[in-house]
Amino acid sequence: MPVPGSGRVWEADYLDGRTPLRRPARVTIGQTGLEITLTDGGGSFRWPLDQIQQTQGFHRGEQVRLERGRDLAEILLIRDVAFLSALRAAAPDAARAFHEPRRRGVRAALAGLAAVAAVALGAGLYVWGIPAVAGFAAARVPVSWEVALGETAAAQLAPPTRRCTDPGLQRRVDEITAVLVGTLAEPRYPFRVTVADYPMVNAFATPGGFIVIFRGLLERTETPEELAGVLAHEIQHVLHRDATRAILRQASTGILLAALLGDVSGVVAFGVESARVLGDLRHNREAEHDADRDGMRMLHAAGVDPDGMLAFFRGMQKLEGARPSATRYLSTHPTAGDRLQALAALAAQRSRPPVKLLPNDDWNDVKHLCKAD
Amino acid sequence: MTESCPRCGAAVDGPKCPQCGVLVELYRASMEKLRRGPVAVAAPAPPAMGLRPPEPPAAAATAGVRRLVFHGTAGSLFGIQAVNVLFTLLTLGVYYFWGKARVRAYLLGASELEGDRLAYHGTGAELLIGFLKGLVVFVVPVALLTVVPQLYGVPEAVTSALSMLVYLLGLLLVPLAMVGARRYRLSRSSWRGVRFSFRGSAREFVGIFVVGTILTSLTLGIYYPVFVTRRQAFMISHSYFGSRKFDFDGRGRELIGPFLVMLLLFLPTLGLSWFWFSARRTRFFTGHTRFGATRFRSTVTGGRLAWLTISNVLAIVGTLGLAWPWTVVRSVRFTFRYLVLEGPFDLADVRQDAQAASATGEGLAGLLDADFGVS
Repeated sequence: MPVPGSGRVWEADYLDGRTPLRRPARVTIGQTGLEITLTDGGGSFRWPLDQIQQTQGFHRGEQVRLERGRDLAEILLIRDVAFLSALRAAAPDAARAFHEPRRRGVRAALAGLAAVAAVALGAGLYVWGIPAVAGFAAARVPVSWEVALGETAAAQLAPPTRRCTDPGLQRRVDEITAVLVGTLAEPRYPFRVTVADYPMVNAFATPGGFIVIFRGLLERTETPEELAGVLAHEIQHVLHRDATRAILRQASTGILLAALLGDVSGVVAFGVESARVLGDLRHNREAEHDADRDGMRMLHAAGVDPDGMLAFFRGMQKLEGARPSATRYLSTHPTAGDRLQALAALAAQRSRPPVKLLPNDDWNDVKHLCKAD
Repeated sequence: MTESCPRCGAAVDGPKCPQCGVLVELYRASMEKLRRGPVAVAAPAPPAMGLRPPEPPAAAATAGVRRLVFHGTAGSLFGIQAVNVLFTLLTLGVYYFWGKARVRAYLLGASELEGDRLAYHGTGAELLIGFLKGLVVFVVPVALLTVVPQLYGVPEAVTSALSMLVYLLGLLLVPLAMVGARRYRLSRSSWRGVRFSFRGSAREFVGIFVVGTILTSLTLGIYYPVFVTRRQAFMISHSYFGSRKFDFDGRGRELIGPFLVMLLLFLPTLGLSWFWFSARRTRFFTGHTRFGATRFRSTVTGGRLAWLTISNVLAIVGTLGLAWPWTVVRSVRFTFRYLVLEGPFDLADVRQDAQAASATGEGLAGLLDADFGVS
């Protein structure tokens, strides 16, 4: 049976792998190999098919490049990609090693499918995979690591020179904290609350039990119960390991992005950063809701009047309407109307009459004790 | 068991010559092939080296202007990258290195000079091993020096001493990565079957880098143009195509004036003067590069460079990265459009002379997030 294309002579160029000099050649396809004749009088020789590798000629306009030898190969360049089809037809056994130019349409369609699949998979990993991994890992980080990490973070966010050192204030803050922490069956974290001398209305919890209240927030509270509400909320963030989880999520998103876009340097990372921020806001909202709910439970268990927490957030909402820039607290703690409603519903489920916090102090004096020296 | 290097005669007891860096087996095999010629079946071996075969017109040693031509398309690159991203996700990142090798093979294979395409010979496996080695060299020490003390709470004095150490480590690793990455990439690139190579000593470059960094900070940045020129000179003048060397003859002080003008205008022009300086630097670097009798010349201008960069950034940010293939193809076209080779282009005495190179420096460069663009 005559092999299709076997009779045809293909124009080619030959590079010997020793000099950068291109030499014209003619190639015919034989049963087991290529017969190559150098037309400049350099003689002819045969390349067995199983020693040949195709390294170029996969894209439109690209010449076919065949190499023989592992390092520093000899090279055969053939302009006409139809050569590949002829080669595949002539040697069906070796055909798999060579690209089929007639299937380029199919390959382009597959690449398109791959693009869709990659986007879907990436989105899936981002929405479900990474939070799941971060949650799994956060639950297994040793408490001692969290404490060390939190110490470093607190030292940067509220440096010792900006901390309020008034012993009277610290004693009362500690007292309120103790009432709340006392409701925990086994307190795994050494809770420490610090007031920092910043005018902003803000509070945050770092991993490992460090809670920082800004002077601006303290001075906005009307009663110790309001402060207790904020503290209960922040304590829940620590117990839920929200900050630890956020750090892990950020890190694994970073790794995912680096894996996808590694070559693409900072520019792309910057573009995708916006998507990351949006995603974090979504996770934040869930974490805030859970901290509200469990914080409210903690207030109930401690016998603290939950109306304090409610009153504080109501006050925040009013302030937000009046002076949006003053309330940094709200940019990290969204107080939408439904959140207040949910809180009010939770606050209504009280079981016993509340105990008054700090009954012997005038809160108006206490909350102005903060002075950094 | 000691033998002598077939190239320089130094004593060798490993796969690689400690003096000239040649990979003994590879060199021997290529010398052997040089003697033997292609495997002949019907006819005697092709003529020996002395007998010049008639060259096709494209390779003739004629004077004139030559350009690199880029044949790649954003569509093809997008297809390659789509498959890469999918497989990278499915393999939890492992395929990344194979994808990187595919992109490089495509970009080099689409670049043409004198009728012949460049070729890339690196593999994903090499890049993966290089990355793992880089991890051991860089991430492990840095993690030990920074994260661990934080987790176990040590005094602040110790932490700051350690971060100083990390800085010094970086000062050593960055130049090592730059040299290593260049050595690897050039050794895996070829044109007309002849490999490029880089033969500069890493120790010498670390010296240039450390001294340059110190002088730059002591002179409040004025030394910077001299520093980058010395780096470029080192990188170019130790680069080879086959057996022939590239040359660089620029003196950095020529760039000091433009650099100071750039600094003065930086704020008034909202940073745009940087592009002007950057184009000036490219013209200077390119114009002082030679390959034999062939001179390189760049005609890039600051305005065009600024437009390219800004529009690329906007395209990538606006499409969340989807436009990446388009920006890459565009950037290569841009580079080639303003790059010309002038003068006689004679390859008659160029021979294959490949050098060994591992991908460790390449892996290190990836980890340090530094794609040191030296052309």
